[in-house]
Amino acid sequence: MVNFVALAREHWVNILVPMGFVIGWYLDKQQDQKLTAFRNKSVLFSRELKPGEEVTWK
Amino acid sequence: MNPYIMALLLFGLGLGTTITFASSHWLLAWMGLEINTLAIIPLMAQHHHPRAVEATTKYFLTQATAAAMLLFASTTNAWLTGEWDIQQMSHPLPTTMITLALALKIGLAPMHSWMPEVLQGLDLTTGLILSTWQKLAPFALFLQIHPNNSTILITLGLASTLVGGWGGLNQTQLRKILAYSSIAHLGWMTLVLQFAPSLTLLTLLTYFVMTFSAFLVFKLNKATTVNSLAISWAKTPILTSLAPLILLSLGGLPPLTGFLPKWLILQELTKQGLPLLATFAALTALLSLYFYLRLSYAMTLTMFPNNLAGSAPWRFHSPQLTLPLAVSTATAILTLPLAPAAMALFAP
Amino acid sequence: MLKILIPTFMLIPTTWLTPAKWLWPTTLAQSFIIALASLTWLKNLSETGWSCLSTYLATDALSTPLLVLTCWLLPLMILASQKHTALEPVNRQRMYITLLTSLQFFLILAFGATELIMFYVMFEATLIPTLIIITRWGNQTERLNAGTYFLFYTLAGSLPLLVALLLLQNNTGTLSLLTLQYSNPLPLVSYADKLWWAGCLLAFLVKMPLYGVHLWLPKAHVEAPIAGSMVLAAVLLKLGGYGMMRMMIMLEPLTEKLSYPFIIFALWGVIMTGSICLRQTDLKSLIAYSSVSHMGLVAGGILIQTPWGFTGALILMIAHGLTSSALFCLANTNYERTHSRTMILARGLQMVLPLMATWWFIASLANLALPPLPNLMGELMIITSLFSWSWWTLALTGAGTLITAAYSLYMFLMTQRGPLPPHLIALEPTHSREHLLILLHLLPLMLLTLKPELIWGWTA
Repeated sequence: MVNFVALAREHWVNILVPMGFVIGWYLDKQQDQKLTAFRNKSVLFSRELKPGEEVTWK
Repeated sequence: MNPYIMALLLFGLGLGTTITFASSHWLLAWMGLEINTLAIIPLMAQHHHPRAVEATTKYFLTQATAAAMLLFASTTNAWLTGEWDIQQMSHPLPTTMITLALALKIGLAPMHSWMPEVLQGLDLTTGLILSTWQKLAPFALFLQIHPNNSTILITLGLASTLVGGWGGLNQTQLRKILAYSSIAHLGWMTLVLQFAPSLTLLTLLTYFVMTFSAFLVFKLNKATTVNSLAISWAKTPILTSLAPLILLSLGGLPPLTGFLPKWLILQELTKQGLPLLATFAALTALLSLYFYLRLSYAMTLTMFPNNLAGSAPWRFHSPQLTLPLAVSTATAILTLPLAPAAMALFAP
Repeated sequence: MLKILIPTFMLIPTTWLTPAKWLWPTTLAQSFIIALASLTWLKNLSETGWSCLSTYLATDALSTPLLVLTCWLLPLMILASQKHTALEPVNRQRMYITLLTSLQFFLILAFGATELIMFYVMFEATLIPTLIIITRWGNQTERLNAGTYFLFYTLAGSLPLLVALLLLQNNTGTLSLLTLQYSNPLPLVSYADKLWWAGCLLAFLVKMPLYGVHLWLPKAHVEAPIAGSMVLAAVLLKLGGYGMMRMMIMLEPLTEKLSYPFIIFALWGVIMTGSICLRQTDLKSLIAYSSVSHMGLVAGGILIQTPWGFTGALILMIAHGLTSSALFCLANTNYERTHSRTMILARGLQMVLPLMATWWFIASLANLALPPLPNLMGELMIITSLFSWSWWTLALTGAGTLITAAYSLYMFLMTQRGPLPPHLIALEPTHSREHLLILLHLLPLMLLTLKPELIWGWTA
């Protein structure tokens, strides 16, 4: 039987980097949405989406 | 020293500076400066050994000369323009004289030579007061008179950064090195004084924080020479690993706080159309950086062979409070990302 | 961008909180995961060239290969440092890993910055961790001297750059890389403008390093511990080339005339440092001088300002980063066994470490630019663009290539072939850690042969 408490105590630090990845990914996504919204609102850059296209800025 | 007398002296020290801050009349400002000087004299001489007394005498003589010159200049000003107000300096002669008197008082380059000699005779606490608190009142006056003789200010400033770097190169005594570091920083403040007084204030503040940390680190290690720094890692390991960052911050290396004032000053100088002066000033900072780097080498980056007894002292608790040191160290290392906030805070 | 940056930062608390026996495996695995995640940057579909945009950071075709190289190098540095830090107290090991991680943090910010002042600040910020790595973990007392050289050469070059950037900001009103190329061209006519031109490029030429201001580099390389040498050769030198490519767009009309002496210095440096390699006795110093020689070609390719020159420079920077880092690792495996960098004391190692000799062979071939490898592609593009500018340059570049081949061969023959000297009989066998380390250098290099457009830069 694996001792889960001991395992958690020894290896809980491994969660930090993936957690950082998730936070960073979330913040990146937020930023992307902000930029997309800005782009879609602007007269200069907004355009009709082609069928199957999701975002305009990429 | 008797705590009552100590309290009285410290009160006098604060009172003098406050009077100078609050006054708009030259006579009152002069009085504040004198009270300030007289209050620190007993503090400097409190250990009664000949070196301290010598330092006190030297300090007294230079400060008295500067104050007398200031009094003379302000009287001349009153005589020439009929005006005692600090903010209303219109005649070039008294303004120049006051600029030179204040330069002598804070130790700018051609009048700097008392500063290392005096600081070397003091203990680190009084030295800290001398190189931080004692600069406040003269700088308050400096900022109020709006000196407009740019040649004098730039000469004083550039000479100070140069001498501050050059003089510290060959020193083995920490207090002398800190004195030269003070001269160099005051030079930077003087350089930008006529263009952006708010930057002078910012530079003064960051200099205070960094110098505070540096003095307290040395005090905690009871170190007064470069050699005695070598065993500091055995006394305070964590602080020793942070000390190079404090020192390089004093030297103005980029990701640390010390870069902030230098950056903004260089920006202001280029904006004023003085890029060559800016480049030269930036390159004189390299001279200072050399001795900060040497201190970091001696303190942290080399490790001297030792025995078991030598590595034990880190277990002893120091009676010194470490919270102020922790706060000022964090500030001295990490505040560069707050640059926009600092600029907004000090904007005119 | 943040999805790599924040994990890199979180690696620092991980380093300090992980139990001592798990320190190296944990940091290695986590940094490797970060490196793999960073490969997603290579997929750039954006129309403008910029992707992963945020307020201050973005990647484009020029910075992506360098960013990925930076992330790739951290696990390799951790892998390489295990032996020589093994005898230190665990807190110092943690400190060492923290420094390496902070270096990656600053480098990502430097390569990803969209603002020139931020690039400058991060460019300088890499100095402090590197300085501490060199002067605290180096082996000889000369390391202090090397650290001083390193710091003061770089700073003396880059403080004028700060003033030059501030001047540029006063003139154009912006330092953003996204908009800088659309600002009005500066009327650069006076002598002051020529000084400004020099101020803009000098910092990067010192960092590259250009022949003539290169003396800090061999010292720093020789004295640094293995991770310091690796990151210095692989990434820090490339900051110079990257910065030059970024600044070039603003310096347009002046570069044509003013770059002559620098191109001459760069190409002359290829010959001179190559010749120095030919009579070098110190292995690490030889690899360091070979770096100077290769970076001379890169400097020439950038200063010539043609698309081929830029592409060749970027390809050569990436390829040289992997190759020289691999060579330093190989030199370090020798050093850890013989405790000497002198080549004549460690000859004939093929007899005892045959697989290691294979790695030496491949790395030497990469260093002398064997055909399918990207090293050749980079060199060839630079040489061609220089040749189309003036065909006299072929005398210098051709001789340089020949000398490079000669000293690579010299290095290989000296260390690997011949009889084994009797004092080397009882050598420690190679570890799979070391083989993995070299393989992770050479494998990307070979795979890039198949898809070189990843590191083509703007022309792709």
